[in-house]
Amino acid sequence: MLGEAQGISGDRRVRLSLVAALLVSGVTLAGMVGCGGVSGGEAGDGGRPQGGTLTVLAASSLIDAFGELASRFEEKNPGVKVRQSFESSSTLLAQIQQGAPADVFASAAEEEMNTAVEDGLVKGEPEVFVKNREIIMVPKDNPANIDRFRDVAKPDVKLVLAGKDVPAADYALEILGKAKGEYGADFEMDVLSNVVSRESDVRASVNRVVVGDADATFGYASDYTPDIRDKVKVVQIPPDLNIVATYPIAALEDAKSPGLAKKWVELVTSEEGQRMLQKWNFEPAA
Amino acid sequence: MKGRDKVGSSTRLPRGSDTLASGLAVTSLALLAGFISLPLISLVVWTVDKGAWQAMASPVAVDALLLSVRTTAMTMAILLLIGTPAAYVLARVDFRGSRVINTLIDIPVVLPPSAAGIALLLAFGRLGLVGQYLNVFGITLSFTTAAVVIAEVFVAAPFYVRQAATGFGAVDRAVEEAAMVDGAGHWRRYFRVTVPLAFPALLAGALTAWARALGEFGATIIFAGSFRGVTQTIPLAIFAEFQRDLDAAVSLSVLVLGFAFAVILAVRYLTGRSTGDRA
Repeated sequence: MLGEAQGISGDRRVRLSLVAALLVSGVTLAGMVGCGGVSGGEAGDGGRPQGGTLTVLAASSLIDAFGELASRFEEKNPGVKVRQSFESSSTLLAQIQQGAPADVFASAAEEEMNTAVEDGLVKGEPEVFVKNREIIMVPKDNPANIDRFRDVAKPDVKLVLAGKDVPAADYALEILGKAKGEYGADFEMDVLSNVVSRESDVRASVNRVVVGDADATFGYASDYTPDIRDKVKVVQIPPDLNIVATYPIAALEDAKSPGLAKKWVELVTSEEGQRMLQKWNFEPAA
Repeated sequence: MKGRDKVGSSTRLPRGSDTLASGLAVTSLALLAGFISLPLISLVVWTVDKGAWQAMASPVAVDALLLSVRTTAMTMAILLLIGTPAAYVLARVDFRGSRVINTLIDIPVVLPPSAAGIALLLAFGRLGLVGQYLNVFGITLSFTTAAVVIAEVFVAAPFYVRQAATGFGAVDRAVEEAAMVDGAGHWRRYFRVTVPLAFPALLAGALTAWARALGEFGATIIFAGSFRGVTQTIPLAIFAEFQRDLDAAVSLSVLVLGFAFAVILAVRYLTGRSTGDRA
């Protein structure tokens, strides 16, 4: 396998994918191979009652909204099971590149989706289905007294960010880059010197604030979910500095259940799906 | 040697079933050995093939290596200082509740490290059972190197204490008492007689505990977080790098593989010698 991968191309993506197979998606693959019979069990698209399994890989910020959508999807398609995996979009991309058996990819940024398209992993055109904005979250008791955006640059703020290449962190850096103009050249450096930990995805970094160990983190508006509202306070980022995160979704070329994948994308982009997503603080795509 | 004697003596049994049985056994062993060595060989092949060892000098790798050296050194200092007398008491003194303590000490071995990380967070995190009081005095442990050491001590302690206690237990009391008769005080007896006699076991225990501390991942990433140079030890760096700079992740993995080999050989040698002495 090693030799094969090298033979095709020495480029980094392939090598990255190889290890992704061994480390990241090993468990996923094992789990899915174990149930492989079910995945392949999709019946024709002729409108007949069909079983089968739909596997959705989605950015971790979608965990609540897609969880709800999955229940709705299973209601509408009796006998169908929706299986979802939520990780950072960059991790999911690596899994797909390695051939993790999945039907749909929903990314928190265009960049990861574009790479998937370039690699020929996506069927058809990806569709932007929601937008999101970044916010600062601080613990309810706000130990570092962060009352406005520029306070995150104060000395000794324990700031947590998602890992490098994770969209939520990339967006945060973009915002800091923009803020330089307004708050001075040192602002970005001051903020970055406050970073005490880089977490595997955006939800993990938000959790650091929820448990009270971090003073602040960058998250999405949609990460401010009802179940953390009694523990976390939001500090808004000035609109002129904020970014608009666009979430593309697409069915995958190697989908085992292409019919279900198409239906999932349809549900997500439908009026009903959009309503459910907005309930979780996502902004409509259009 | 013993195994071969047994196989030899059983040739009186019907030949067919014997060759079948030993054939199966040998195949199983070969399968197991192949299964374990294949991934390790793959690591080395990749490193050589891609020149990945150069990545060992990358800043992330160097920072991780230095941090791992520092934190495991502190962990071992704490373990030797506190674990050694504790092991002695466990081995020598029969007190009420010693069984409970014995069980308690073994728990970190079987507890998944991620669960240990959550437990440490709930104890020493800023809002934790103890952490909230530390916080009043301006002490926060989360995201500090101290948190890494705490996690390492928590998971590695049983490995040292258990083996040290076994080592102390194997020291002949008669020798200790003879030292007492010769006029040695408690301290003198402990340092001049007991510790030297148990030394191979103590060293073997220290090596396995060190290896466990070096490999510590789950408790550290949950309790201490991941930041270069502060809390990102080698295992955390491997995890962080494998998506960005694969060569760095591979070279760090090869590095710890080398450490693992060294530890196992050293422990083999030491325990082999100590049992040889006693025989």
